[in-house]
Order: sequence, then C-alpha cells, then structure tokens
Amino acid sequence: MPASPEPRAERDLVLSAEGSAVFAFEDFADGLDFLPPIDRCRIKIAGSEILDNIVKHASPLDGGTLRVRAARRGGSVTLAFYFRSTSFASFASGEGAFGEGPASREPFFDPTHRRWRGIGLVMCRNLSTRLVFRPGSRMDRIFLEF
Amino acid sequence: MTQLDISVRNDHHRLLLSVVGPINSYTFTDFQEKIYKAIAQADTAVDMEHVTALSSAGIGVIMTAMEDAETTGHGFAIVNPSEVVKLAIESTGFGERFPVVKTLKQV
Repeated sequence: MPASPEPRAERDLVLSAEGSAVFAFEDFADGLDFLPPIDRCRIKIAGSEILDNIVKHASPLDGGTLRVRAARRGGSVTLAFYFRSTSFASFASGEGAFGEGPASREPFFDPTHRRWRGIGLVMCRNLSTRLVFRPGSRMDRIFLEF
Repeated sequence: MTQLDISVRNDHHRLLLSVVGPINSYTFTDFQEKIYKAIAQADTAVDMEHVTALSSAGIGVIMTAMEDAETTGHGFAIVNPSEVVKLAIESTGFGERFPVVKTLKQV
C-alpha cells in the first residue's frame, strides 16, 4: 500500500519592511515544525536573501509590511512573499535572477566596500528548484519552491 | 536569537574566533571587523558550530577573509560548521573552495 502524502500545512508571518525583520524571519523558519530540519535551513537561508532584497529594493512598501507564507503541499515545500511596491519590478528585471534561465549576473567583488555582491540570489537559485517573481497591479509576489 | 557573540582567544599560536548566533545582513559587520583584524595578525580558525544563520553577506566576508589569508600568508579555517552554515556554503556552488574542517586538530 503506497504511503499517504503528507498533509497540507502552512504558516504565515507579517513583517515590517526593515532590516531587523530578518530576525523575526529566522525565528519563523526555525519554528516550521511541519518541515524537516533541512527544509527549514533552506527556507531560512533563501528566504533571508529574498527578504533582504525586498527591504533594499522594494521600499517603501505600501502599508510598510510584507506577508510571508511557508507551506507544504503534497511533496512540495514553498515559500512565498507578498508585498506591494512600485520599484521592485524594475530591480528584478535588471537583476535577471527571477526566472527559469541562468542568472544574468555572476557574483563580483566590490573593491570600494571590500564586499562580494550578487551571491545571495545565486544561493537562492541553488537552494530552490524554482524562483519566480510575479509583479501584479494589486500585489507583487515572489515564490520559491524547494 | 538576535545577538551575535564573537569571542577571540589565543590557541596554540593562532587566533580562535568562536561565533554564536546569526550572521545575517544585520550582524555581519561585527563578524567582518573581527575576522579581518584576526587574519591581519595571525593564523585564524573560526568555530562555527553555534552559528544559527549565515547569509550571503557572511559568505562574502568569509570569501574576502580567504583572500586576505592568502595575501598575508596566514592560515585560515572554518571549524565544525553547523548544518545551516554547511548548507549556505554548499549553496554558493563552489563550496569545495572553502577551508572547512571538522575539528581544530585538522587545522
């Protein structure tokens, strides 16, 4: 007799669009007890990168907040970000990281600030099986599937 | 956990940094400052057993530290990384370039 699929489970979080929201997101990921530890780690790493990009490139958000949903449906684990921004779509199209093809920009070293840049979205793409940005007239959405 | 604690001590002619907590976009500057300072002075090992998050900002600091270590001729190693650290390193796509060891004896 085939094993029955895992039941659906999901959890939501509302975050303010500021850098310190990353701590609340990390706690959220750690608390996803319907997922195995490896999936919680994937969500924590990839989700933190997406959150960081939203805070940096989508602000000011309409209402000042964004919503996050982690879910398990059948054999699939997803993480979704919902927000409303007038600026994120132009950032995302220039970055080329949200789509099915290879990333358009490789990580590079910024000598002025002595920092590597562009690593975060590469990590997201390697951790997930799908990373999609869907702009909308009422809401922008970023989906990750693991 | 919101606080990053980094202690530095001498350990057999090298500096050992013990890191506890999340290395994320909000905390990485403290990690950056301490790791760059250590590598400029001596061989450096970073115990990451109790690191609860590692973002791309933290990965970037480690990559720069690896280059600084080459430039200064000092040794550099990441010791006993937690699961989330291992996964973050692997997710770069070039995890094999990171000097990861299980114990200090391997440094």
